Amino acid sequence: MIQKNSRSWLKIIAAAVVAAAAATPTLAQETIKVGLLFTYSGPSGISGQLSDNAVKLFQQKHGTTAGGKKIEFIKRDTTGPNPEVAKRLAQELIVREKVQILIGPDFTPNVLAVAPMVTEAKVPAFIAGAATGGIVEKSPYYVRTFYSVPQIVRPMAQWAWQNGVKRPYVLVADFGPGHDTEATFTKTFVDLGGQISGNSRVSLRNPEFSSYMQRIKDAKPDAVFVFLPISELGPQFLKAYSDSGLKSSGIKLLATGDVSDESVVDAAGDAAVGLITVGTYSHVHDSSLNRRFVAEYTQSFGKTPRHTAATVAVWDSLKLIYDGVAAQGSAKFDPDKFMAFVKGRSFESLRGPVTIDKATGDITQNVYMRRVERQDGLLQNVEFNTVTDVPAK
Amino acid sequence: MTALLTIVFNGMAYGVLLFIIAVGLSVTMGMMRFVNLAQVSLSMLGGYVMVVAVASLGWPFLASLPLAFVCVGAFSVVLERLVLRHFYGSDDLTQVLLTLGLVFMSISSAAYIWGPSFRPVQVPDWLTGQVSVLGLMLERYRLFLVVAGGLIAAALVIGLERTRFGAMVRACVDSRRAASGCGINTQLVFALTFALGGGLAGLGGALSANLLSLDPNFPLRYLVYVLIVVSVGGMGNITGSLAAALLIGVADVVGKYYVPAAGGVFIYVLTVALVMWRPQGLLGRKAA
Amino acid sequence: MRDALRDHFVGRARWKTLEWGFWLIPIALYFIPQSNLPLLSQVLVWGLFAFSLDLLLGYRGIPSLGHAAFFGIGAYAAGFLGKYGWTEPISGLLVAALVAGLAGLATGRIVRKLHGLALLMVTLGLNMILFDFALRSTDITGGDDGLQGIVIAPVLGAFKFDMAGRTAYLYTLGVVFVCFVSVRALLKSPFGLALLGARENPRRMMALGAPIEGDLTLTFGISAAIAGLAGALLTQTTQFVSPEALAFTRSADVLVMLVIGGGAVLYGGFIGAAIFLLMRDLLSAFNPIYWYFWIGLLLVVIVSTFRKGVLPTLAVTWASWKVRRART
Repeated sequence: MIQKNSRSWLKIIAAAVVAAAAATPTLAQETIKVGLLFTYSGPSGISGQLSDNAVKLFQQKHGTTAGGKKIEFIKRDTTGPNPEVAKRLAQELIVREKVQILIGPDFTPNVLAVAPMVTEAKVPAFIAGAATGGIVEKSPYYVRTFYSVPQIVRPMAQWAWQNGVKRPYVLVADFGPGHDTEATFTKTFVDLGGQISGNSRVSLRNPEFSSYMQRIKDAKPDAVFVFLPISELGPQFLKAYSDSGLKSSGIKLLATGDVSDESVVDAAGDAAVGLITVGTYSHVHDSSLNRRFVAEYTQSFGKTPRHTAATVAVWDSLKLIYDGVAAQGSAKFDPDKFMAFVKGRSFESLRGPVTIDKATGDITQNVYMRRVERQDGLLQNVEFNTVTDVPAK
Repeated sequence: MTALLTIVFNGMAYGVLLFIIAVGLSVTMGMMRFVNLAQVSLSMLGGYVMVVAVASLGWPFLASLPLAFVCVGAFSVVLERLVLRHFYGSDDLTQVLLTLGLVFMSISSAAYIWGPSFRPVQVPDWLTGQVSVLGLMLERYRLFLVVAGGLIAAALVIGLERTRFGAMVRACVDSRRAASGCGINTQLVFALTFALGGGLAGLGGALSANLLSLDPNFPLRYLVYVLIVVSVGGMGNITGSLAAALLIGVADVVGKYYVPAAGGVFIYVLTVALVMWRPQGLLGRKAA
Repeated sequence: MRDALRDHFVGRARWKTLEWGFWLIPIALYFIPQSNLPLLSQVLVWGLFAFSLDLLLGYRGIPSLGHAAFFGIGAYAAGFLGKYGWTEPISGLLVAALVAGLAGLATGRIVRKLHGLALLMVTLGLNMILFDFALRSTDITGGDDGLQGIVIAPVLGAFKFDMAGRTAYLYTLGVVFVCFVSVRALLKSPFGLALLGARENPRRMMALGAPIEGDLTLTFGISAAIAGLAGALLTQTTQFVSPEALAFTRSADVLVMLVIGGGAVLYGGFIGAAIFLLMRDLLSAFNPIYWYFWIGLLLVVIVSTFRKGVLPTLAVTWASWKVRRART
C-alpha cells in the first residue's frame, strides 16, 4: 500500500519538474550584480551609511536599469580596515553571489588583500575610499575614483612654499598613510628649498594632544602641516590647537582635507574656522551640478551626517558603471570591454572635471586649496585656489 | 622649565578626567565585586545628557553637570535593578560578557538616538582659552577639571570614611550577611552605591566631552584606559585610583613630549611595569 | 592498582559518539554545494584559536586578554616565511607554532606570580605593545597595509589554494583536526588532570608535590603554540597578514567565543566560535548598521540562559532530562 502511494507521488513530482523546466522562459534581460564592500559599522561606520545613501539617490535619479539591463546591488560590511574579513566577503560576493562589478573595498589594507582575487576573477572594482599611492596598479581591474595622497600633498607643499612658508612643522598620524604623507610633503618642500622645523608622529589611539602642542611651540615654526585620518583625531587636534593659544599666534595652520572632512568638522566648532586644507571635494564647490546634488541629498537624507569626498567617489563610480554597462548594450557583460571603456574616460564630476588614467586606472583631477569658513551656520570648505589636472602619482 | 611644568599640569588634568570616569568602576569592582564594563557606556550617556541639555535645551554648562550626574545615576539604578543584580554571584567572566553585551547595545542605541556623527561641544567662554597662573600659561578648562576632580575625590574619601552611609557601605562590603544581620538594608545600600558609581561615570563623561570627543563609539575607545586606572590603582581604593590616574595622565603626556614616537605605547609599558611591581594596586593591600 | 589507573585514563580518553558526530559535520559540509566554505574555514581557524585559549583559561584557569599576541606572532612568522622564500606550507606551520610557543614560554615565566585583574592587564598591555609595534613599523611589517608578496606553495605539492576556498577548507580542517586530537590526548592524560587540579586548588597541588609553576609555563607554551599555528593557518589560506591579527579586538573576541561555548569541555571553543561568527555574519547581512545591538543582546541572552556556557549548560540539561526520563 505504501509502495503504491510513493510511486504515484514520484510520478506527480517528476511531472511537475518537467513542466516547470519547460515553462521557465529564457531570460530576456541580464541582471548586472554590483557588490558593495563598505564599512557600515564600527568607528568608520558613517562612510558606509553615506555611500548607501549615494546608491539610493543615484537609483532614484537614474533608475535601476542601464542599457536594458537591471542593476542590482548586494552589500557587505567590511567593518573597517579588516583584510581578513574583506577578503572573505569579496570571495563570497564573487564566487557565491556572482557579482560582476565591485565598488570597494574601502581602506588600503582591504584593497591590497582583495587585489589578486579581482584579477583572477576579472571583476572590475572601484576604489572609492582608499588614498595610498600606487594601490591601483595592484590589479588591472582596479579603478580609483577617490584621490591619492601624493595627489593632494604635493600641491599643498608647493602652495605653502609659494605663500611664504619657510619652516613648517609636520604632524602626522603614526601609520602607513601618515608616513606616506610626511615623506611626500617633506621631499617636495625640501626640494623647493625649504626646511622642516620639526615633526611628530601621533599614535592613532591618542586622546590627548597637549604634549604635541608644546612641542610645536618649542620648535617655533612659521606654519604647521597636519595629517590625521577622518576620525575623532581631527576635531580633537583643532580644539587642542585653539585652546593652547597656537591658533591666535599667527602660525599658519595647514592640513589635508581629512581634518576638515564634512563628516567630522562640525565637532570642532569655531576651532576649525580659518584652517587651510587641500582637498578634492567641497560642499560649496561652485558648479550647478554640485549645488543641485547637495540640495537633493540634504532633502532626501537630512542635514547630518554630511556627505563627503568618499560619497562623491561612490557617486562617480555609479556613473561609470551605468555608462559602461549601457555602452555594451544587450551583449553579455564583458569585463575587459568595460575596463577599456572606463580607462581613459573624462567627465564632469560633482567636484570638477576628472579623468580616469588610460594606463593605470588611477584618477586625474583638480586639487583645491580651501579655507574653513562658517556659512549659514555650517562649517564649509571654501575653495580659493585651483590646481588643475593633477595626476595621482 | 615652564614647558615641563605646563606639560605636567596638562597631564594632571588628563589624569583627573580618567579618575572621574574610572572611580565608579573602582567602587563597584572593589566594593561590590562586580565587573561592570558598562561603566564607560554610562560615561557616554552623561556626555550626551550634557550636550543635549546645553545645545538643545539651552541649559548653562555648569547646571548640566549635576543633571548628568542625577540622570545617569538614576539610569544606573534602573539598570542594576533590572539586569545586573541577578549576576552578583556570577563569576568574573560571566559579568564581563554580560556587561560587554550591554556596551555593544549602548553603542548602537546611541547611534540610533543621537546619530553616528561626532558631537560639537560648546563650553562657556570663561572656560576657554588660557590664563596666567604663577607665570605659567594654563588652559582654563584644565584648571576647572583639576579643581572639580579634587573636590570629587575629597568628597568621596570623606563620604566613605566619615559618614554613616559610608560606614554602611564598608560594612556591606566586608560581610553582607553580618551587615544585614545588624539591620542594614543591604539591597538599598548596594543600589545606592551603584547609583553613586554610575552618577560619577556620567559626570565624568559630561566633563570629558569637551576634551575627548563624543560619539557612539566612545565606550570602546576609553574602556582600556578605565581598566588601566582601576587595575593600577587597586580595586575599591579611591585614593589609589586618583594616584594611579594622575600618574598615568602625567606619564602619558610627559612621555609623548619627550619621545613622541613611543607615544601610544608608553601608557601600556607603564601599566605592565606598575602592575607587575604592585599587583594589588599602588595603595592596595596585599592579598592574604 | 597500576592497571586500574591506566584503565581510568584510557577510559577518560575514549572518544564519545557525539564527538565523532561533531567532526562528521565539517566533512559533510564540504560536499554540500551551498556551503560558505570561506566562512567555515574562518570558523575552524577561530575555533582552534579559542581551543588554545581554553587550554589556558578553561583548564588551567589563567585568564588572558592578550592571546591575540600569539596568534599574531604565528601569523607574521608564516607571513615572513612565505615572503622570503620558504613557501612550503606544512613546515611553515610548524616553524610558526614553534616561534609562538617560545613567546608563550617567555610570557608564562613573566606572569607566573600574577592573578586576576593584574594578570589580565599585563597580558593586555603586552598585546597592545606588540600591536603598536607592528602597526608603526611600516618598514618591517608593512604596517597598516599588511605584509605584501606572501607566496604559499600548493599543499603537498599538488593542491593549489583556489579562489573558491576548497583547498583552504580541507587544509584547515585537516590541520585543526590533527591539532585537536594531539591536545585532546594531552588534556585527557595525567598532565591535563594536573592542570584542572591546579586551577581548582593550587595549594593542595603543591602539597601533593605537583610542579605547578613549571606546568603553568608549559601550558602557556603549548597554548601559545596552538594559537600561533591558528594564526599561521590564516596567513597561509589568505596569503595575507596585517596588524589586525594582533589587535586587542581579536583577544576580546576569542575570549567571548570561549565563554559563550563553555570552558574546559574540549569543544566549547569550536561551538562558541561557530555561534559568534555565524551570528555575526547573519546579523551583519541583515542589518549592517545596527548589528552591534543585536550581537550585544545575543551576548546578554546567552549569558542569562547559559550560565556556564552553551555546551556545559546543554550537557547538564541533557543529563538531568535523561535522569527524569529514566525515573518515569
